[in-house]
Amino acid sequence: MTPREWLVALALVFPVVGVGAAAVSPRALLSRVMTGIAVLAALAALALATVALLEPTHRELGRWIVVDPAGGIIIGVIAIVGVASALVSPQFLAARRSSLFRADRADRIYWATLFAFWAVLLAVPLAGNLGAAWLAIEATTAASALLVGFSGRGRALEAGWKYLILTSLGLGVALLGILMLESAAGGGGIETLTWRSLPHDSLDHDVAVVAYVLLLAGLAAKVGWAPVHNWLPDAHSEAPAPVSALLSAALLPAVLLVAWRSQQALAPTIGVRTAGGVLVGFGLVSLAVAVPFLWQSQAWKRLLAYSSLEHMGVIALGIGFGGSLALAGVAVHVVGHALAKALGFYAATPLLAHEPRASGHGVGGIGRTQPALGASLGVSLGALAGLPPSPLFVSEVLIVAGGFQVGRPWAAGAAAVLLALGFLGLAHSLIETVIGKPRGRDRHPAIGLRAVTILTIVVVPLLLALTVASLWLPDSAIVQGLIRGLG
Amino acid sequence: MSGIAWTLVALGIGVIVVRRNSIAVALVTAQAFVLAVAALTEGTSADAIIAAAALALRGVVLAALFLLLVRRTRETRPVPAGVAPLVRAAAAVTLALTLIWLVPPFGLDAHEAEQATLSLVALGLVTAAMRRATLFQVLGIVLVENGLALAALSLPGEPSLAIEIGVAVDLLLIALVAGIFHERIFAEFGAGDTAALRSLRDS
Repeated sequence: MTPREWLVALALVFPVVGVGAAAVSPRALLSRVMTGIAVLAALAALALATVALLEPTHRELGRWIVVDPAGGIIIGVIAIVGVASALVSPQFLAARRSSLFRADRADRIYWATLFAFWAVLLAVPLAGNLGAAWLAIEATTAASALLVGFSGRGRALEAGWKYLILTSLGLGVALLGILMLESAAGGGGIETLTWRSLPHDSLDHDVAVVAYVLLLAGLAAKVGWAPVHNWLPDAHSEAPAPVSALLSAALLPAVLLVAWRSQQALAPTIGVRTAGGVLVGFGLVSLAVAVPFLWQSQAWKRLLAYSSLEHMGVIALGIGFGGSLALAGVAVHVVGHALAKALGFYAATPLLAHEPRASGHGVGGIGRTQPALGASLGVSLGALAGLPPSPLFVSEVLIVAGGFQVGRPWAAGAAAVLLALGFLGLAHSLIETVIGKPRGRDRHPAIGLRAVTILTIVVVPLLLALTVASLWLPDSAIVQGLIRGLG
Repeated sequence: MSGIAWTLVALGIGVIVVRRNSIAVALVTAQAFVLAVAALTEGTSADAIIAAAALALRGVVLAALFLLLVRRTRETRPVPAGVAPLVRAAAAVTLALTLIWLVPPFGLDAHEAEQATLSLVALGLVTAAMRRATLFQVLGIVLVENGLALAALSLPGEPSLAIEIGVAVDLLLIALVAGIFHERIFAEFGAGDTAALRSLRDS
C-alpha cells in the first residue's frame, strides 16, 4: 500500500471505530469517548486532505480509491464539520426531550449513526468509480435519515420521511443513468465506471447525454438543487443542529463532487458546453427558487436551509462554467459555506433555548438580548450573505467573472442579478436578527452558548484567512489540479 | 428474456392498482424471484448463481420485513390511495411510454429488457408519488430497484457483482430505516398515512 492509501484507510477506520465504540463505551464516559474518537478521525482526514492539496499534481487513481485536490477539499470540510458537530453534540443530547428510539438507547444510537454517517460521507469523495460513489451516497441516506428524524416528533418524522423517499427515488434515477453508461460502453463492470475510463470511446453521444441528464437529475435530488429540493428545508430545519450542519456543509458538497466528476468525465463525449450547461441550468434555477424565500421572515434553521439551496446553486454555476476563475471560486465557496453554515446551525441550539419561538418563526434583536449569541448569528449570516470581507463575497465574484471568462455572459449576468437579490434578502434578515426589534417575550438562558462562542472565535479568523487565500487561488496549482480533474 | 421482462412489468402494474399492502408485498417479492430466475437464465457461472442467490435473499428479507411491519401496524382499514386505481395505472403507463420514447436504445442484451427497465422505473415513481400509504411509497422504491436489477442482469458482458450486492445491501438498509419511520409514524398519527405528514410549511 502507498502512504496515501494508508492515510485513506486511517481516515475511514476511525469513524468505523466510532460506531463500535458507541455500542460498548460505558454510559458515563460515552460523550468523552466519542468526541475523543471524533478528534482522531478529524486529524486523520485532515492529514489526508493536506496531502491531497499540498501535492495537487500527484493523484492517486485506483479502481476503488481516488485522492485528488477536489476530493481533498471535501475531505477537509468533512473533517472540520464532523469534529465540530461531535463537539457540540453533548449539549444537544443533554437538552433533547424526545427521541425516535428508546430513551436508554437513544444516545448510543445517535453516536453510532453519526459516526456511520461520517464514514460513508468520507467514502463519497474517495470513491474511485461512479458505482462505488453511488453506493456511498445511497448509504448516507440511510444513516442521515435516522438522524433527521432523531427527535421522533411529528415534524421530524415528516422531514425524515420526505428526505428518505425523495432522495432514494432520485438516486434510483441516477443509478439508471449509471447503468445506461455502463451498458452503452459495452459492459465491463467496475472497470467501465472508473473516473478515468468513463469517457469511453464507444459511448453513443445521444445515450451519453440522456444518461448524464438522468444521473444529474438523480443527484440533484440529493444535492437539493431546485426543482427537486423539497426535502431540503424540512430536513435541515428538523434535524438536530449538529446533523443539520453535516448535511448542509458536508453532505451536499460531497454529492456535488460526484456530479462534478461525472461532468468532467463525460464532457469529452457529450461536449463541454452541454455538460456544463446542465449544471448552469440547475444553478440558475436553484438561485431563482431560493431568492424569494430569502426575502421572507423565516425560522432560523429554515432560513439557513434556503441559503443552502442558494449556495449549492452557486457552486453548480461555478462547476458548470469551469475555468480557473470559476473553479477557484468553487473551492473557496465550498469551504467558506461550510464554516459559516455550520456555525449558523450550531448557534441554533442556544438560540432555540434562548427564544423557543425561533423554531417556527423569524427572530429579532438577538444581539440586544444576548450579545454573544447575536455575534455568532451575525458572523454566520453576514458571511453567508456575502458581506465583505466574507470569502463568499470573493468566491461569488470569482464565479460570476468565471462565467464571463468562459463565454457564458447571459448566465453570468443572470447569476449576478440573482446573487444581488439574495444578498439583499439575507442582509435584511441579518439586520433584523441581530439588531432589529426583539420579538419574543419568553427569553431563557442560551444553553450551549459557550461552545458556540468558542467556535465563533475560531471561525472568524479562518474565514478571513480564506478571503486572503482566495485572492491567490486562481493561479495556484490547486486550481490547475481542479481544472485537470481525473482525466 | 422478453417473457421475464414483461412478467416483471405485469407484477409492477399489479402493485400500482392493488388496495391491500400485503398483496403488494407479495407482488414485489414475486418480482425478486423472477429476477433470480432471470439471473440463472443468463448463465450458470459462479457469478450468475451468486447474483440469483443475492436477489432471492433480498426478496425474502424484504418480504419478511414488510410483512412484519404490516402485522405490527395493522390498520383497521387500508389507507385511502387518494387517486383511483385506473388513474394511477394510466399515469404509470403514460410515464413509461414517455420514457421509452425519450430514451434511445442503450445497449442492454435485449431491447425488451430496456423497455421493461424503464417501465418499472416509471411504475415505481408513480407508486411513490400517488399512493398515500407509507408502505406503498417504500414499495415504489423497491419497484424502481427491481427495474434497475433487471437492467444490471441484462448488461453486456460480466456484471460487477460487488456493485450489485452493494445495491442490494443499500436497498435493505433503506427499507429498514423506512420501517423504523413507518412504525413511528403509525404510533404518532394512528396510521401509516403520508396525508398526516403535512405540517411543515414556510412561515
